[in-house]
Amino acid sequence: MVAAYPTGRGRPARRERAGLITVGLTVDPERPPRPPADAPRRTHPAPDLAPLPRAAPVRVLIPAIDVRADVVPVGADSAGVLEVPPLDRPTLAGWYRHGVSPGEIGNAVLVGHVDAPTGPAVFFDLGRLRAGQQIQVTRADAQVATFTVNDVRAYGKEHFPSTLVYGPADAAGLRLITCGGRFDAATGNYVDNIIVFATRTA
Amino acid sequence: MKVSTALCSAALGVGLGTLLLPGAALADTTVSPASTPVGGTVVLTATTCNPKSGDALFRVTGPNRDQNVRSTTAAAGGGLSAELFTAGFTLGTYTVAATCGDGSSAGSATFTVTPIGAAPAGSGGDNRDTGALAAGGTLLGTALAGAVILIRRRRPVSTVA
Repeated sequence: MVAAYPTGRGRPARRERAGLITVGLTVDPERPPRPPADAPRRTHPAPDLAPLPRAAPVRVLIPAIDVRADVVPVGADSAGVLEVPPLDRPTLAGWYRHGVSPGEIGNAVLVGHVDAPTGPAVFFDLGRLRAGQQIQVTRADAQVATFTVNDVRAYGKEHFPSTLVYGPADAAGLRLITCGGRFDAATGNYVDNIIVFATRTA
Repeated sequence: MKVSTALCSAALGVGLGTLLLPGAALADTTVSPASTPVGGTVVLTATTCNPKSGDALFRVTGPNRDQNVRSTTAAAGGGLSAELFTAGFTLGTYTVAATCGDGSSAGSATFTVTPIGAAPAGSGGDNRDTGALAAGGTLLGTALAGAVILIRRRRPVSTVA
């Protein structure tokens, strides 16, 4: 009849132990790699290549980080935010269809998830890419445009460099985008975008 | 020979014309900034239009759009300007061709309407929640198993009594 825990300490102490056990058993997901801030940038003067006509990309290959992914067209939602392939298909990359296609003059944009509820997604290792590595994009007309990485950078989402990504350019370029940095549980979003800048070289 | 002479004369004429009429060589239309997130504003400027000749007309064409915008102010650096609000614009690249008040062409330029802000390209560790749930389930299972063991150990005692 007497309370088993008159001081009220017993129950909280058990809760604390349970909490510790819970924390001990919790499995933290693997965090996406972040490009070093002092990574060397390399400019690859665009060789004298004739620009390609417009053709949707269908596949992207990045040997350095073992990416082989199908590409689907994406646009923007009603609020004007860039769409990304659905989370239940995390192995797909998306091509921003309102911009140029890979190989045309201008910057073509591919976007892919860094992770999904099932684990790492198509662009999880984008932050590991380094200047000089290659990206191959196969187009619907069967032509393959090869790009060489100039730079890989992390940008806070508040400072997304829209002009560098979508803006006009004199040569055929490619931009790869995914999420990175710290995951903010309050907003349900990563705080950064990882962006790869590349120029067509073949 | 006659052809090459004519070509040389034409080239000379163009060169002299350019020297004598520097304004013509600078005929230009600019859009600033060159890209804007949808809903942003760009400033269209026909740098060579004389305000005294009347308003300039900017023809804006692009994805699902063909509209004329009349100049509203004299540009600080010369020419005429208008602001263009891009709310409701389809994403993509637009061409702006300007015509001065006197009917002369003032060239053309392009600008790009882009998505807003960053890309939401990650779920951010939903599997962490899964881990916590799994841990909670394990603890619950352990507690239930303990309770069953305790009940079984107590039963023989009560039977004897």
